[in-house]
Amino acid sequence: MLDLRGPSRLAAYLLLSLGVFAILAPFLWVFLQSLKYEIDILQGSWIFNPTSFNYADVLYSRRSDFPENVYNSLVVAFLSTVGVLLIGTLAAYSLVHFKSRAAISRLLLGWTLIFNMIPPLTLVGPWYLIFRELGLSGTLTAVVLTHIALNLPMTVWMMMAYFREIPQEIEEAALVDGCTRPVIFMRIALPLAVPGLIAAGVLAFVFSWNEFSVALTLTSRHTATVPVAISRFAQQYEVQYGQMAAASILSTIPALIMMFIGQRFIVRGLTAGAVK
Amino acid sequence: MTTGIKRTGSLSNFADRQFHWLALAPACIFLVLLTVYPVLELIAMATSTITFERAREIWRFTPVENFRQLLDDDIFRIALKNTVVFALVSVVIEVCFGIGLAILVSSAGKAKAILRTILIIPILMPPVAIGSMWKLMYSLDFGVLNQAITLIGLPAVNWLGSTSLALLSVVIVDVWHWTPFVFLILLAAVEAIPNDVIEAARIDGASNRSIVFRIIIPLIWPTIVVALFFRTILAFKVFDQIFLLTSGGPGTSTEVVSLHLHKVYFQQNDLGFGSMLSLAVIAATVAFIWVAYRAGRFVRARDA
Amino acid sequence: MKLKALALLLAAGTVIAWAHQAIAEDSFLDVGEQEPITILINASPWYKGFENVVALYEEQTGNKVDLEVTPFDGMLEKARSAVHAGDTSPYDLVNINGTSTVEFYKGGFLEPLNEIDPQFQVPKEVYSFGDSGCWDEAKEFRTCSTGKLMGYSPNGNVQLFYYRADVLKEKGLEVPVTFDDVLTNCKVLQNPPETYGYLQRGEKGDSIYYDFMAYLLSYGGSIEKDAATGDYTVTVNSPEVKAALDKFIEVSRSCGPQNFASLGQGDLIQLMQTGKGQQAHAVVAAFPNFDDPQKSAVVGKINAAVLPKAKADGEPGVAIGNWVLAVPKNVSDDGKKGAIAFSKWFLTYKAQYAYAEGGGIPVREDVFISDLKDKPQFRWMPAYQQEIKYGKQLLGYSEGPAVNQALGLRLNQALIGELSSAAALNQAARDIEAIFKKGGRKTGQIAPLAE
Repeated sequence: MLDLRGPSRLAAYLLLSLGVFAILAPFLWVFLQSLKYEIDILQGSWIFNPTSFNYADVLYSRRSDFPENVYNSLVVAFLSTVGVLLIGTLAAYSLVHFKSRAAISRLLLGWTLIFNMIPPLTLVGPWYLIFRELGLSGTLTAVVLTHIALNLPMTVWMMMAYFREIPQEIEEAALVDGCTRPVIFMRIALPLAVPGLIAAGVLAFVFSWNEFSVALTLTSRHTATVPVAISRFAQQYEVQYGQMAAASILSTIPALIMMFIGQRFIVRGLTAGAVK
Repeated sequence: MTTGIKRTGSLSNFADRQFHWLALAPACIFLVLLTVYPVLELIAMATSTITFERAREIWRFTPVENFRQLLDDDIFRIALKNTVVFALVSVVIEVCFGIGLAILVSSAGKAKAILRTILIIPILMPPVAIGSMWKLMYSLDFGVLNQAITLIGLPAVNWLGSTSLALLSVVIVDVWHWTPFVFLILLAAVEAIPNDVIEAARIDGASNRSIVFRIIIPLIWPTIVVALFFRTILAFKVFDQIFLLTSGGPGTSTEVVSLHLHKVYFQQNDLGFGSMLSLAVIAATVAFIWVAYRAGRFVRARDA
Repeated sequence: MKLKALALLLAAGTVIAWAHQAIAEDSFLDVGEQEPITILINASPWYKGFENVVALYEEQTGNKVDLEVTPFDGMLEKARSAVHAGDTSPYDLVNINGTSTVEFYKGGFLEPLNEIDPQFQVPKEVYSFGDSGCWDEAKEFRTCSTGKLMGYSPNGNVQLFYYRADVLKEKGLEVPVTFDDVLTNCKVLQNPPETYGYLQRGEKGDSIYYDFMAYLLSYGGSIEKDAATGDYTVTVNSPEVKAALDKFIEVSRSCGPQNFASLGQGDLIQLMQTGKGQQAHAVVAAFPNFDDPQKSAVVGKINAAVLPKAKADGEPGVAIGNWVLAVPKNVSDDGKKGAIAFSKWFLTYKAQYAYAEGGGIPVREDVFISDLKDKPQFRWMPAYQQEIKYGKQLLGYSEGPAVNQALGLRLNQALIGELSSAAALNQAARDIEAIFKKGGRKTGQIAPLAE
């Protein structure tokens, strides 16, 4: 974007390194803790004998279902992200392009914003009742559906902002050329909004990946997600720091991989057939 | 979707004409099915007193009592003040850092992809782990922060235990946790700016500084507003990190609304007044966003 | 005639069954074949012991038990969801934190155990932890003399006094009996930031509330006059409580680290395990950590004793923090039967002994006086057993959580000096009176303290 030469290049790289350091250092520190026995963590030691005990305990101990939790989280985060991107992007496109029904659009956007403000604590009860009535309590389906609802407001608002950035002339030209609206959406608008789609997708994925309150209430032991499992390390009288650090590291890796694959998929799938 | 290329067939014709409705429908269905009932229930509860007897809920309609209790709630007032300060400070810092990082990373060439991945790591960590691990880092006697500070000869800092510092310590964690969120949203907006716009400006002799303030920021302003909205809402809902780091103490120095709500609604099981608090939080968030939005427009109008 | 014969037969059967049980004391209790049950249980330091004992139950009886291990912060939510549900509860036994039991009892969500099995009894050796497992509906109070048996404790925590046996010996110090002794010792032991003389939690909320109770009770204070008989006059701003609070603040400030007002459970145990803390009071659940070489730099050096008291001839202030296992009303009949069977087995001496060996804190007195107490890793047992007879259940009413929060804030404000101790207690009294008024109690206040 910016043309960085001479001193401004140096300043920019300095700032960027500072930012990367500030963001990465605590994470690396957590990684370091995951290799220590608890006493070394508590004493803040820098010289210690590294151990894989925490990882082994998280993954293989009898009371741990961590691989299962990761699987559940991957399923929930993947499906809810795909779902919310589909539903949210379509809605955002519609709201940006068809301004004739301004009242409906305002109502909808206002409602999503208000809904987003509700403390999750007060949502859990009604949702538990709904899914119990549907016979879906304790299933991943319930969690996927609630996560779509939770992330829908943000996705719609974000995608609207990105769609607004696309110059109207491109689409108007396509319409004159005789393309139908679904085709314009798929072949022109979406490919142009790929960076936005990726950002929205990553955020929906992350929020689903880390969501705790709803997942806790709607899951049982074998459908529990990663945040629920990790909370078990924060016990009534002690925090098992080593295991918690190891579990945090372990939970970020599949999420990173998944997001990396997802991004490539979106980029390839949409730019391949794009009308540039 | 591919059948839509041809303009024949009544189905695709219908899809074409009614596309805006069809595109909107799934979202509407979802919102009606999953959000209307909880919101109505919340309002109903906020105007009631709910007790339990023989495994049944007993509702009494007490809107006035609940509202009066809200007005009399000193701790809620303090919590609201702390929340506003917390939201204002952390969101402003995060948006500034986020814009800076987004522009820098978008100019970073080949390193862009790897930087984008690295810089979002904080939002990938589970909130309970963030709270617990930062508490360890802030530890007075053994924390890494005080290790660094005492290494350069300064006295250890009482990060979470002093009334004047505790809120700031919590803000630092929030900035670390959520700057990546703003960065990610804004990076996409910066990337979508057509290159020729910036090239044209550069040919006109614009400096980097004026490109940032005269072109990039105005162009991504709608996205900044979205990021501001959602960050503010999240900041008003802040819970995990404060619950784990300070429990709202010392005294009331880090007491925030969601912590108070958690005590009333969850621990005391006072669903009626708890829901009234929820509505108050929502009203406060709306007011805050509205004021911030107006202020933003005013500033921009003056600058333009 | 037929009826009489039947009664006779039943009586004979009971006698035989009882005799069988007595004989079987040597082997594990036989509870017959049962349907699988699910227990909602929290992840806690003693969970491993519970898991071990459940595995033993499965092995001994062939009955299956599923454990729904849940984070501590999610327990209440899960238990509420299960019992509020109109249909069958997914859990046959739910573990409820002591402070929340009243909510479940009063709401009528639990099945009295004798309505499932009239014969069921909690053995007399099992601690009652201040009658926390019984509920008198009419009095709205937890008492076993007139109430119904709703559940029993799988775990009862009290706080013990912990001290560095090696350091006290080396410096020629006595194990303190009173809080003044604590201060005497702490003058020698306090050398920040290398060592701290006495650690107690000052963190706002339940932390400071619970740790302060050791002072309040020992100084003869109380929160309300007599909730058992319905007198909710607030007594928290009495001169006794003020004396207790002043002492608490003095100890915190002069014997603790700089962050004494935000010291939580994790910080306190961290300071003990790393060797900085020389004396402390903390829950018994913390003890196994001190002896675990993976977690502690002071293995074998920490001993336990009864909590310090206000006066040498007084009583220690022992507030109980226990859990109660209970059966929701909406459990299937087979589930209820299975839950009772497990409970009977779990409360036997053999099972409790195994529970202790596996890392749990047993709830039977005879396990505490068994040979276990002579083993080094159970050296806390005598102190626990001595203390538990002074154990008190506080806040045994539905306003309990609100009172706990009000006190947790005001005490902390006094500790950081935002309010004087008298002002903090007067304010707490006003808060608590308002809470009781909202609950429709007969309440009032005593003469306020001079501020």
